[in-house]
Amino acid sequence: LESYGEMVRVSFYQKTAWQSLLILLAALTAGLIFNHLRANGIPLTADWSPEARMVSASGHSLVIPTEEARQAHAAGQALFLDARSQEWFEMGHIQGARNLPPEEIEGLFAQVLGDVPPDRLIVTYCDGEDCDLSYDLALALMERGFTNVRVLINGWTVWREAGLPVEEGRS
Amino acid sequence: MTRFRIIYLLLRLALGGIFIYASLDKILHPAAFAEIIFNYQILPGALINLTAIVLPWLELVIGLLLVFGIFMPGAAALTGLLLTVFWASLLFNLARGLDIDCGCFSTQSAGSASMAWHFIRDSVFLIMGLALFILVLKRDKLSSSKEVA
Repeated sequence: LESYGEMVRVSFYQKTAWQSLLILLAALTAGLIFNHLRANGIPLTADWSPEARMVSASGHSLVIPTEEARQAHAAGQALFLDARSQEWFEMGHIQGARNLPPEEIEGLFAQVLGDVPPDRLIVTYCDGEDCDLSYDLALALMERGFTNVRVLINGWTVWREAGLPVEEGRS
Repeated sequence: MTRFRIIYLLLRLALGGIFIYASLDKILHPAAFAEIIFNYQILPGALINLTAIVLPWLELVIGLLLVFGIFMPGAAALTGLLLTVFWASLLFNLARGLDIDCGCFSTQSAGSASMAWHFIRDSVFLIMGLALFILVLKRDKLSSSKEVA
């Protein structure tokens, strides 16, 4: 009797396994064929790196290399915008940066950027490889007519690790 | 036995309906769904688009099989597996404090709905899925022993 119970169990799990495999194959086939035939299909693989994702509406990359950002900072050519929340900004930010979280741009725009000409080089940053706040801010600024906006990926970490000038408190 | 049968039927229809409903918006908007998978920050970039293409169809196929009661061992096992993966992904991001749109049913941003609420809801689905698999296993044993008798 015990061995019979064992047999039933084995056949159940075998059935589960081959049925699962068939279902997976059916979904894979249906998904690939449908994606191929439809008008808004997507490529099977895509580049999800920050460099590839952070592009302007017209498709050119907004990413600024750290060295270029450092030079612009040292020469006083760029306005740095910290896209993180006010708490994080006050705990430490790139020297001379102003704070503008993208979700607060409606209320703070005039106060933070009222005196900035639209062709001024603006470098947005936040913290972390995958932080999109800086990119969201850059897009919002370009929508408002700024023509020279770049994104420093993982800016706060990169800046500190390079030993570049930082400061604390409100701007 | 009858009570079991009713619970079994209800679980099948509920989970099947949930899976079919969840698949439709994702099938319609693959690019938006890929963006949501990316936001989970779990899969490597190379697998994101393929997952966005295939996963909604897997949900649809499983949902249909559950509703019609076909291929139940396989469909119920995959239901449990998928719900476990969804649940663990949400838990993982809840634990590391990443606020993401869950993309559970829609590729639109959920807005104010909280991660915690998504997690509780997913927990209920997971319990339903595991219960269904146990019932399928029990039914299989019963029907096998009947054949012999």
